[in-house]
Amino acid sequence: MQLSRTRREFVRDLGISAAAVPFLLNLPGLGFANQAKRKQRIVFVFSPNGIVPKDFWPETEGELTKLKAILEPLEPFKKQTLTLGGISDRIRGDGDGHMRGIGCLLTGIELFPGNIQGGSDTPAGWAKGISIDQEIKNVLQKDPATKTRFGSLELGVMVPERADTWTRWSYAAANKPITPVDDPYQLFNKLYGRAKDNEALASVLDAVKDDLKKVGSSVGAADKKLLEEHAAFVRDMEKELKEQKTASTAGHAVPKLEPGMKRVNENMPQISKTQIDLLVNSFTADFARVATYQITNSVGQARMKWLGVEEGHHDLSHEPDSNEKAQEKLVKINRWYCEQVAYLAKRLADTPEPGGTGSLLDNTLIVWTNELGKGNSHTHDNTPFILVGGGLNYKMGRALKYKNVSHNRLLMALAHGFGHHVKSFGNPDYCKDGVLTGLV
Amino acid sequence: MRFPLPKFGLALVALAVPSGVVVGAETRTGEQIYKQMCARCHGVKGEGTKKYELPLTGDRSLAQLAGVIDRTMPEGDPEALDAEGSKRVAAYMYDAFYSPDAQARLNPPRVELSRLTVKQYRNSVADLIGSFRFAPKADGKPGLRGEYFNSRNFQNNKRQIDRIDTEVRFDFGKEPPKAVPEPKEKFDPHQFCIRWDGSVLAEETGVHEFVVRTDHALRLWVNDNRKPVIDAWVKSGTDTEFKASVFLLAGRAYPIRLEFSKAKQGVDDSKKNPNPPVKPAFVSLNWKRPSHAIEVIPARNLTPQRFPEVAVIETPFPPDDRSLGWERGSTVSKEWDAATTEAAFETASYVLARLPELSGAQPGAGDRTAKLKAFCKTFAERAFRRPLTDSEKALFVDRQFEAAGDAELAVKRVVLLVLKSPRFLYPDAGGTPEQNATATRLAFALWDAPPDKELIDAATAGKLGTRADVAKQAERMLADPRARAKVREFLLTWMKLDQPKDLSKDAKRFPGFDADVASDLRTSLELFLDDVFWSEKSDFRQLFLADETFLNGRLSKFYGVDLPAEAPFKKVKFEADKRGGVLTHPYTLASLAYVAETSPIHRGVFVGRGLLGIGIKPPQEAFTPFAPDLHPNLTTRERVSLQTKPAACSACHNVMNPLGFALENFDAVGRFRAKERDKPVDATGSYETRAGTVAKFTGAKELAKFLASSEETQYAFAQQAFHHYAKQPVRAYGLKKPDELRKTFAESGFNMRKLIVEIAVTAAAKPKLPN
Repeated sequence: MQLSRTRREFVRDLGISAAAVPFLLNLPGLGFANQAKRKQRIVFVFSPNGIVPKDFWPETEGELTKLKAILEPLEPFKKQTLTLGGISDRIRGDGDGHMRGIGCLLTGIELFPGNIQGGSDTPAGWAKGISIDQEIKNVLQKDPATKTRFGSLELGVMVPERADTWTRWSYAAANKPITPVDDPYQLFNKLYGRAKDNEALASVLDAVKDDLKKVGSSVGAADKKLLEEHAAFVRDMEKELKEQKTASTAGHAVPKLEPGMKRVNENMPQISKTQIDLLVNSFTADFARVATYQITNSVGQARMKWLGVEEGHHDLSHEPDSNEKAQEKLVKINRWYCEQVAYLAKRLADTPEPGGTGSLLDNTLIVWTNELGKGNSHTHDNTPFILVGGGLNYKMGRALKYKNVSHNRLLMALAHGFGHHVKSFGNPDYCKDGVLTGLV
Repeated sequence: MRFPLPKFGLALVALAVPSGVVVGAETRTGEQIYKQMCARCHGVKGEGTKKYELPLTGDRSLAQLAGVIDRTMPEGDPEALDAEGSKRVAAYMYDAFYSPDAQARLNPPRVELSRLTVKQYRNSVADLIGSFRFAPKADGKPGLRGEYFNSRNFQNNKRQIDRIDTEVRFDFGKEPPKAVPEPKEKFDPHQFCIRWDGSVLAEETGVHEFVVRTDHALRLWVNDNRKPVIDAWVKSGTDTEFKASVFLLAGRAYPIRLEFSKAKQGVDDSKKNPNPPVKPAFVSLNWKRPSHAIEVIPARNLTPQRFPEVAVIETPFPPDDRSLGWERGSTVSKEWDAATTEAAFETASYVLARLPELSGAQPGAGDRTAKLKAFCKTFAERAFRRPLTDSEKALFVDRQFEAAGDAELAVKRVVLLVLKSPRFLYPDAGGTPEQNATATRLAFALWDAPPDKELIDAATAGKLGTRADVAKQAERMLADPRARAKVREFLLTWMKLDQPKDLSKDAKRFPGFDADVASDLRTSLELFLDDVFWSEKSDFRQLFLADETFLNGRLSKFYGVDLPAEAPFKKVKFEADKRGGVLTHPYTLASLAYVAETSPIHRGVFVGRGLLGIGIKPPQEAFTPFAPDLHPNLTTRERVSLQTKPAACSACHNVMNPLGFALENFDAVGRFRAKERDKPVDATGSYETRAGTVAKFTGAKELAKFLASSEETQYAFAQQAFHHYAKQPVRAYGLKKPDELRKTFAESGFNMRKLIVEIAVTAAAKPKLPN
């Protein structure tokens, strides 16, 4: 098992001093101050390189009846699904279509000029603003009634070991991209490392106590007092560890992770499933209420050999509509992405809301989106937005078609859904027509 | 800047006369006098009462004590006791409880079992893990290796320059890098990249902020060769300053690497777009040490040698007890215990993340478990600074492997168990073979770090049995950077400057005195302290007498010395007829002053309490100094004299004021002045020595000369050094130890290095058991 996360990073990520709160951390959530209100959650899912519109968008507006090939895996959740056509990422400026596609998707704002040169257009750097997931997380973390241990989790599947505009979509602020965690072991460590550490500690404390006694017997009486004082603290700690263990198992059990999963293309299905399981566990334990789930990256080159597709996804996405074989493969690939969304929806639907009513899915909104409307044209018009779940009380089970509205208005609506009534989000020029209507 | 209000008062103020006592020609013994006239307020053994709580203990000489009693006691009626009676009662008090020796007889000090101090803990983990890594010998060359590539990336066949750059501060403009002789291939000014590589030496412990200034892309690695602390390889926007904080321990070198790129990343469009306008480029590598301003990392802190990473444990610990004036590990608390747990976790995590490197055990190899066990045994032995017995090996290693099942979990348990063990946390805990214990005490005294391999080997071979053996090792160890760091730390502590000072000054009165000047001044003082200590004679007196000051371009401009603007630090004669050593160093003088005015009281307290080692107790209430504006016709000296004139103040202020007045020729930023408010400065001063003589001096040079030759200064320095190094009360090593130390110090020609060796050897000896 590879633990690529150091303890230092772990402690830093907690955002609290290491000595101060060591024992709270395997409790489900920070105390229970946040349990009174209905919990709302949101998960953003990214897949790259555009979709195949004719096999994706529902034919008609209104009630969702038949789902097309790519969306078919969502059939069991049709009543909880809302498709939003006609929404366009209209952000322009520096960077090629892919860079702006991923970088402006959740931020709604331009990229800085920079040194990353794409296949066309001018070079660019990072996005100029915060992304909507982080905006919502900040709002929730400010309020003790909605504060959770992490606030948000940024997950990935097979994201390249390379930090550039094509590999980041979540931003803590302008020029502050967040690295997604795509190693399940690293994620596990982040979520449960403390609990595992405490188990190891508990197992050696008896020996520590014996040792203190032994050493105490070999020093003078005055010095022995110091060691006895020390031993009392060790006993206190042992007691506290026991109490916490009881408290933590009352929430939910620490999941077991299959060892030896390598981070390679062929393992993508297994990694994706594991990441989703850990995400659902985190929601059960109320570790976070916001998440991003980034499958590969902009220009992602997943080779889905398990579907019989040997070519890389990005290369295929450039093939013209006339290349039917390529289009068939692209449908398969996008359908696989949809299966991940459906698996997430299923796991959420199967998990009862702890301390509340209904299932996790009833209180979670999944937003599945894409950097491009279509791969071979690199258009940002008709950028896919598929919503699943009851988190924001939208009227689900419908297909909506807007008329080329800017995606900033949708991002605003998501903030409003959490009671965060922003007047604009991202570049205000694209927010003038106000919050996207028709969702509720 | 705000200074705390002056806090000096009088220890012996509140005697009361028992009513009805008739005083005649003195026939009583000192003890009788004490019982009749003093005990009611001061307690039978001078322990204090509700009326006057402070115990009657101190370090004045017998003559001084008698003088104070004669002048002030009994309170309100000093005539009730004549000079002879005062002498007798003083003699009684002095021997019964007042003097340090009397106190030592009443409460015999002993060498206390102590845990690792926070510094010692961090150093222990760093050296413990470092012992599994290659340790190169420092060659002392300054600067960083600079490799310049005429390409977008670090392509070896495109390297045009490979040289040592003493520091990283370049403004290329629109030109390519220059070198002599000229590189073989002409650089493309559009795109080149540079890698600087080597190590950075930290002089202080604490958070160091690394600051790279550039208008292009960069990556910086500090003490972690895998993950950059700054990753701005994506150039984005117009930021030109990039910062990262790294916690470093003093006296160690850390690997550092800076990569700079003036090129686009991603798709290569140079053919499509062949001749874009050339952009300018600059890059500099700076840092902010814990008590300094941002500066280009100077050559003396850089070396092209690559040192291995250091395991720096960042877990916060509660500060160590400093109630006696020096840090020691004589107390434990719940917070401390919790911190040792956190630190053990942090260490375990560090070890597990680098297990193949540290243990040599490769994943999947057949001998992995055997190698991990061997690693764990060595880990425990080095943590305990001695070999393990068979039963210890069974407990600390074998049983953990049996119980854990999984080898990595076993390693984690061993690390936790070892680092939570009293055998690690208390360096002098029982069960250690005597020579290993000697090695441990010696190393912690000299380095605040565990013994190195050479020292342990000597102990194992039985070569630490004699005082001469130990002294020989101590001399060797003194050359180590860890020893240098502790020397610096001690000298700054002796100067009461171990905590950084805010030196903000009135910008109108002192234009140009800014944070950069203040920071350079501190560097200048540090360089001076190092220079004297590490000079051939290491003569303590030169700390007061040396007439050269370290100045650089910026300081010389402010203090009116002729040096080029960019000049690095060098020794110059700076007003050598008026200045001498640490006392007149502008940093000392400016830190002992208010924002606009000097503070003779602070300066006097520093000289008295700090350098001469006299106990001056704080006043029982706080005072605000008289505002200069309200006394426009008075000099600072006159104003201070006016305020401290009342009898309740004067007993102590009569001691400290005249010491501070001698420095009045230097203003609040340490510049010389002959006049203040159009009046000539009166820099006369005096000091009544414990021997009973009165020393008189005019101006700083004479005061410095007096201090250099004063037995009191020498005694105080030696005693403070002992406490700083040994972290145990000096009288625990014999009531006469402080006097012996001063004498040995004097016999060596006041050689500070020899003093430190003497102290370390004393501290390394087996402590005597209390009787």
